[in-house]
Amino acid sequence: MKSVKLVVVTTLVVLAALALTTAATAQSDDEKVVLTVGLTQDLDTPNVTAGELVSSYELYNLQYAGPTDLAADDFAVIPGLAESWASDDGKTWTYNLREGLEWSDGTPLTAEDIAYTINRSRDEEWLNYTSTVANLEAEAPDARTLVVTSKVNDPRLPALSIYVVPKHIWEKVPAGEISNYPALDGVGSGPFTLTEWKKGQFWRMEANPNFWRGQVAIDEVVFRVFRNADAMVAALRSGEIDAAHNVPASAFPDLEGEEDIVPVAGEQGGFDYLVLNMYDDKPPRDTEAFDAPHPALTDPQFRAAIAHAIDKETLVERVLNGIATPGTTMSPSPNPSWIPELTEEETYDFDLDQARQILDDAGYTDSNGDGIREYEGENIVLRYAIRSESEYSKPYAEFITGWLEEIGIDTTLSTYDDGQLIEVAGKGDFDLYVWGWTPFVDPDPMLSYFQCSQVSVDESDFSNYYNDAGFCDETYDQLYTQQNTELDLDERTEIVHDMLTRFYSSAGYIVTATSPDLQAYRTDRFTGWVKQPAETGPVLFSNTSPTYWNLTPTGESSSDGGLSTAGIAAIVVAGLIGIGLVGWFVARRRTAEERE
Amino acid sequence: MTFRFVAGKVAGALGTLAFVLVFNFFLFRVVESNPVATLFRGRNLTDSQREELTRQFGLEGSKLEQFWRYLEQTAQLNFGRSYATNQPVLDEIWAAAPQTIALVGTATVLAMVFGILMGISAGWRRGTNQDRVLTSTSIVTWSTPEFWLGMILLTFFAVRLGLFPTGGISDPSGPDSGLGKLLDQAWHMTLPCVTLTIAYLGEYALIMRSSIIDVSREDYLTLARAKGLRDSQVRDRHAVRNALLPSTALIAISFGFVLSGAITVETVYSWPGLGLLTYESLRGPDLPMLQGLFLFFSLAVIVFNLAADLLYPYLDPRVRHQ
Repeated sequence: MKSVKLVVVTTLVVLAALALTTAATAQSDDEKVVLTVGLTQDLDTPNVTAGELVSSYELYNLQYAGPTDLAADDFAVIPGLAESWASDDGKTWTYNLREGLEWSDGTPLTAEDIAYTINRSRDEEWLNYTSTVANLEAEAPDARTLVVTSKVNDPRLPALSIYVVPKHIWEKVPAGEISNYPALDGVGSGPFTLTEWKKGQFWRMEANPNFWRGQVAIDEVVFRVFRNADAMVAALRSGEIDAAHNVPASAFPDLEGEEDIVPVAGEQGGFDYLVLNMYDDKPPRDTEAFDAPHPALTDPQFRAAIAHAIDKETLVERVLNGIATPGTTMSPSPNPSWIPELTEEETYDFDLDQARQILDDAGYTDSNGDGIREYEGENIVLRYAIRSESEYSKPYAEFITGWLEEIGIDTTLSTYDDGQLIEVAGKGDFDLYVWGWTPFVDPDPMLSYFQCSQVSVDESDFSNYYNDAGFCDETYDQLYTQQNTELDLDERTEIVHDMLTRFYSSAGYIVTATSPDLQAYRTDRFTGWVKQPAETGPVLFSNTSPTYWNLTPTGESSSDGGLSTAGIAAIVVAGLIGIGLVGWFVARRRTAEERE
Repeated sequence: MTFRFVAGKVAGALGTLAFVLVFNFFLFRVVESNPVATLFRGRNLTDSQREELTRQFGLEGSKLEQFWRYLEQTAQLNFGRSYATNQPVLDEIWAAAPQTIALVGTATVLAMVFGILMGISAGWRRGTNQDRVLTSTSIVTWSTPEFWLGMILLTFFAVRLGLFPTGGISDPSGPDSGLGKLLDQAWHMTLPCVTLTIAYLGEYALIMRSSIIDVSREDYLTLARAKGLRDSQVRDRHAVRNALLPSTALIAISFGFVLSGAITVETVYSWPGLGLLTYESLRGPDLPMLQGLFLFFSLAVIVFNLAADLLYPYLDPRVRHQ
């Protein structure tokens, strides 16, 4: 017993001493200008060919510059590593690189690096490159000239939005090993390069002295990972971090009006949608393995009635805490210019009476008076799937099923995790659910998902599809092929508007609301936060992340790091209380013994 | 202790391990889902990329074929690569384990020391106010959810008072070597460690209290008193030593749970250990990572249980002679 007491007392004394010395050592701070960004997600890998998390893309955006860049305001193509470009036929483009380009390690950056990246990523089908480079062939006739030829008409050119990797580093990585390469080399051409990654804690990026835009005003960016989003918000309030990404919706409204803090609900085209299973035997699939939607859902009138029964304003206010915008058509890009203006007739506005009228007219009536309409003599009951992984899925379901009930449609609810739901939807074993997408800058990928060829028909793999609505429309498919090769931007925009209007009118993909990125930043230490796209976009984790090289310090010193005086006091007090407790134990025992 | 006894215990442990190996594989595959589709949703993969990822993830072929491959690989101590990071599962576990051992290990030791002291105090003076206060405190702390307690402490000490960091294991701009680094980490560890200590404390206190009460009726204590020993001598030399035996088993098992013990607390405090790794791996799900972690957790529990089984006869001769 004596020895135990001794251990306890010693531990406490040592702890108190430790606390005091920490306070002393933590004060020494250097003069570096450090921007600290809080986020809720760690990197998956610094390897640009393999990562798939939003956090990792921010790293790639900072570390690797592209031959061309995208404007912060409107995603227009602007010079990057290349200062100019030209083409005679729109298929072969010649890019002139800037003079004196260097990698962060001082090695010259030449057209050969870019050609190498394009050709190798195409041949080896690197995950983050394929959709951009699949049809490209690149050559480097000299160090400052890059010639890129596309096999097809590619409306994305001359934009070359690719992360150029340093050939002298990556050529040492063999083909089969590329996605396993840890990529901690930290050699890049962007404004910052990776210097340290403490898994699960933070990663640190240092300013690249050879960045083509010139030296930036910040010496270092630290990305700090918080698994507890409320703790991250607290750190932002206390000035421990300068900005936060993925602020929880519950904390977001409180940040409004707080001194030195600006909350941003950044729109990047992400949206929530209510999908109706409208698969109508096109393209054909084995009916044994697949399930079918409720037959009423294949009737456009029935779907139109549902579309009229969804009150998007209420969903935004009540489900999404008012931090979103009611949706219209599917959004294929963060660039709002791709989204068509719908006329009043085209729009399914919220009107329960109209919804009931449509159902009555189409013959879905409630003949037995139980409040539920019938289809071929049976009550209409739709299978509604809830996503267990989304905090909004259940409240969405409560409102939506409520409105459906009001127009005489019954529902049954089942809950799935995302992996399960992908399979369940692939089998066609559902009628409706709410999920979301976030599009790429070019509208092509999002548009491609709703072709007939993307409907789930693969019996051996129920997750091999994108078209979760089972939408199949030949005209849409034709328009898709057209826009895919249309080089004139205005023409292409018109085709895309047509496609989206057609898809909207099917009433099977009801976009309920945008899903903005909730961020917040402090204004007391840095100025120059850039929204991409202008006015509506986020300031961090945007498409090309222009904020970082734009920021300048205001001159006010950082309040982060180290122990405060109050901290020392607290630890001393805690230590004293601990010692007091032990003393009390000992004393009690003494007096008890004396009483015996 | 006979060879037979040892062999029996070891065989039992190996049997449990084999069961865990098989169970682990099927546990995470009960739910039909394709991690390639989940992790890469909306990524516009080509067919050949899908196939390549499916092959890389070891998901091609039937469940039985996958199971066979899993057994073969595990037998060669190859636990595969994490889907998320593409790095070997074992490396990831090694990297996260020290943080968890430091945090949960410290908390377990502190909880043990304070809990046992509390239990002795309460049990020896059974029925007094001191007993009532200590016992009810133990019951309250034992039944408090760890993550809730963590959130409360975090909100109060880190957010309100700003005395401790809001999470993490070190300050990115703090000292990165020597004593300064160690102290910085100790400062970061204080709140999670206190949370866990409070959470674990009650169990030790209650068990120690009941074993003290059990032995307090024994004849040898009456004899010790009759010899004229002081009360504290009777307690420390005769009662506590015997009462500690049941706690030994608990202590051994607790150390087995050190690795897996703090999933929620690590999440609340962004503590980059095995608990957080588990939490992260559920996304997808990252099957090789989860399999590796659960195997590792089970292994720890099995080993410490075995150790307790083998140690017990040494500590308590009565078991040896039975």
